[in-house]
Amino acid sequence: MTKAQAKAVFYWGTALSTIILLVLTYNSLGQLPKRTNQQMLTAEVAQGKWVWQKHNCNDCHTILGIGGYYAPDLTKEMAHRDPGWVKNFLKDPEKIFPSGRQMPNLHLTDGEITGLVAFLGWVNGIDTNNWPPKPFAASVPVQGENPGEAVFRAQGCSSCHLLDGIGGHAGPDLTRVGARRSSQWIEEQLKNPKSHNPDSIMPGFAKLPEKDIEDLTSYLAGLK
Amino acid sequence: MKYESQKVAYKYFLFATLLFALQVVFGLLTGAKYVWNFDPLIHILPFNTSRAIHINLLVVWLLMGFMGGAYYLVPEEAETEIYSPWLANFQLYLFAAIGVAAIAGYIAGWSWGMPFLEQPTILKAGIVVVALLFLYNIFMTMLKTRKWTTIQGVLLGGLVLLAVMFLFGVFFMKNLATQYYFWWWVIHLWVEGAWELVTAAIMAFVLLKLTGVDRERIEKWLYIEVGLVLFTGIAGIGHHYYWIGTPGYWLWVGGIFSALEPAPILLMVADTLKDVRDRKAGITNRIALYWAVGCAVMHFFGAGVWGFAQTLPQINKWTHGTQVTASHGHFAFFGAYAMLNLTMVYFALPQIKGLKEFSQRLGFKAFWTMNFFMIMMVLSLTVAGVVQVYFQRIMGLDYLTTQGYMRLWYAAFGASGLGFAAGCLMYVVDFFRLGKSTAKS
Ligand code: HEC
Ligand code: HEM
Ligand code: HEM
Ligand SMILES: [Fe+2]
Repeated sequence: MTKAQAKAVFYWGTALSTIILLVLTYNSLGQLPKRTNQQMLTAEVAQGKWVWQKHNCNDCHTILGIGGYYAPDLTKEMAHRDPGWVKNFLKDPEKIFPSGRQMPNLHLTDGEITGLVAFLGWVNGIDTNNWPPKPFAASVPVQGENPGEAVFRAQGCSSCHLLDGIGGHAGPDLTRVGARRSSQWIEEQLKNPKSHNPDSIMPGFAKLPEKDIEDLTSYLAGLK
Repeated sequence: MKYESQKVAYKYFLFATLLFALQVVFGLLTGAKYVWNFDPLIHILPFNTSRAIHINLLVVWLLMGFMGGAYYLVPEEAETEIYSPWLANFQLYLFAAIGVAAIAGYIAGWSWGMPFLEQPTILKAGIVVVALLFLYNIFMTMLKTRKWTTIQGVLLGGLVLLAVMFLFGVFFMKNLATQYYFWWWVIHLWVEGAWELVTAAIMAFVLLKLTGVDRERIEKWLYIEVGLVLFTGIAGIGHHYYWIGTPGYWLWVGGIFSALEPAPILLMVADTLKDVRDRKAGITNRIALYWAVGCAVMHFFGAGVWGFAQTLPQINKWTHGTQVTASHGHFAFFGAYAMLNLTMVYFALPQIKGLKEFSQRLGFKAFWTMNFFMIMMVLSLTVAGVVQVYFQRIMGLDYLTTQGYMRLWYAAFGASGLGFAAGCLMYVVDFFRLGKSTAKS
């Protein structure tokens, strides 16, 4: 190859790739408003995004899979937490998860927290081509496993509850919960923890499919 | 060294060396938070702050190294003194002052909050000024003699691209997806575009001088390598557009183009080895040669192999945003860019100090220690990442429970980090030893 040919590789290669990027950028920017529900991007959401940046949340948490890997990804946070719980948590994270790896109290104002929750709610609606993927195992119970046990595992209840000696300490030990609580009571606790304790820090799971709630309830009620 | 003003590079290397050491200290502090759950510094230096400082120091010392490298290289290529050595010094101090302000700001809780680009907007404006002063000085030097060698052209092209891309990370956008779309124009088009050009140019220069091979050949390969880097790398940005709200066609575009990215890097390895085999000069500065060859090889494994392993959407879907990513980040940044700067330092420093011969023992120790422990760090993080993908993404355990299963590998990572820090310290000591010595022979 001569130097002139080498130069041609350089110019053509660069030009071609640049054109591809620019054309696709034009197209992507055209599609983003729809794919991200831009009509729902209110002033409050934008303010929440700034709160998110100002407190540098992104260097601990990933969002859209980008950022620090020290804390859970928050892209779909609002798909499995209700806003009330998140607000409560952000007010004083150290109280809600008192042991293990901790999130510091950022001393957020109520306004900031409202903005953040709106922001995370909007992010939850972004079409991410189905990322993060659904785990293989969570939907298929392990051989012989009670379906309620699978839900318990998939919902991360053990981050707060001990069960057979495994799990966290923010909530009571559930090893023998069926001996002290009825099915109805447990179902109520799952759907609306505040009905039993107005200051409950336990997230409500009313968003789960009815079948999961039933499985979970009968599993827990059977722990005697 | 042929021109007096090339000496300004020394101060750049000095600052870069000190910031490198500080980067490693903050790496250890950040890593410790993974190893132990209890964090005594949580209210003074929480994880996000120390991570921001760690990665900002990384970028700043690498940029200072590039600038020093450019100030050393350009006079020799252009065959003239630097246009304004005073400006070169001033620009360094300004950059350093902005760096100090940024770090102090992070500790005080002043942040812009996008990873790598946490600098508050006023400081970003200052960085733009620094870049303009630098480019002006370099360009005016080249203009003095108008000897447009390919090496100079590629270097200038890389530096201009680097500065322009930064602008896409300065503005606040309401839409997070759009913000991240352009964030990648900075991060990806830096490390897989602009910085690769700077690296290719500096590497070509060092090999040319060390091995004495034919300039025609070096420059011809430079065009091909850089052409392929940009061809694969620019559209290869699509490997970051799989899951951030962007349309599905990026899975194809990103997958195909980025899968080709290792090709030019492999070409650089082959080319480097060929230059070394065909050398015309006896090489006395063996340590510089080791860094150069080591850089080519580690660049290939860190960027080419570790990057390739997670670049196809079918795999990236599972590994995206896990410690697998962090293992690649460490490997690639160290192999490609930290080692490039260390190559340039070991090549240029003895010449700046007029040393014909110097003891290379400590330099070699630092070389092997850093490389060995970086590989151990990377392997530990890779295993941690695979454990994470398995338990969290495949089995569906929750995030913190999974982190518990990864602690052993975090501990291995931390221990390897201590080893790396020891190697880094050896390098710092060696730098000062060389820097203090003056020509005797
Ligand atoms: C953030 C921590 C947290 C998480 C996560 C959590 N809980 Fe709770 N849970 C609590 C706390 C605290 C209580 C104590 C009562 C209260 O304050 O509501 C509790 C109470 C309970 C009780 C009543 C126990 C008793 O005998 O009083 C049940 C049953 C229960 N949780 C089940 C679950 C299940 C099932 C899940 C997962 C789907 C879950 N919890 C997730 C914190 C949590
Ligand atoms: C003692 C040595 C080091 C230790 C203990 C260390 C530790 C860490 C830790 C804990 C993180 C944060 C990961 C996260 O977000 O969860 C990090 C990030 C990072 N470090 Fe280091 N580090 C060290 C040295 C280095 C070196 C030498 C380099 C490059 C030359 C480097 C480059 C990076 C990069 C690029 C990131 C961001 C990674 C990403 O976003 O994927 N580190 N480091
Ligand atoms: C020297 C060159 C390179 C450097 C310094 C580098 C560095 C990095 C860093 C720091 C990240 C993490 C960014 C973040 O989310 O914080 C990253 C991500 C990534 N890199 Fe590279 N990289 C290089 C080359 C490559 C190459 C050549 C490939 C492909 C062949 C590649 C593929 C990827 C992929 C797929 C990701 C996304 C990982 C994820 O989804 O989490 N990289 N790179
Ligand atoms: Fe990339």
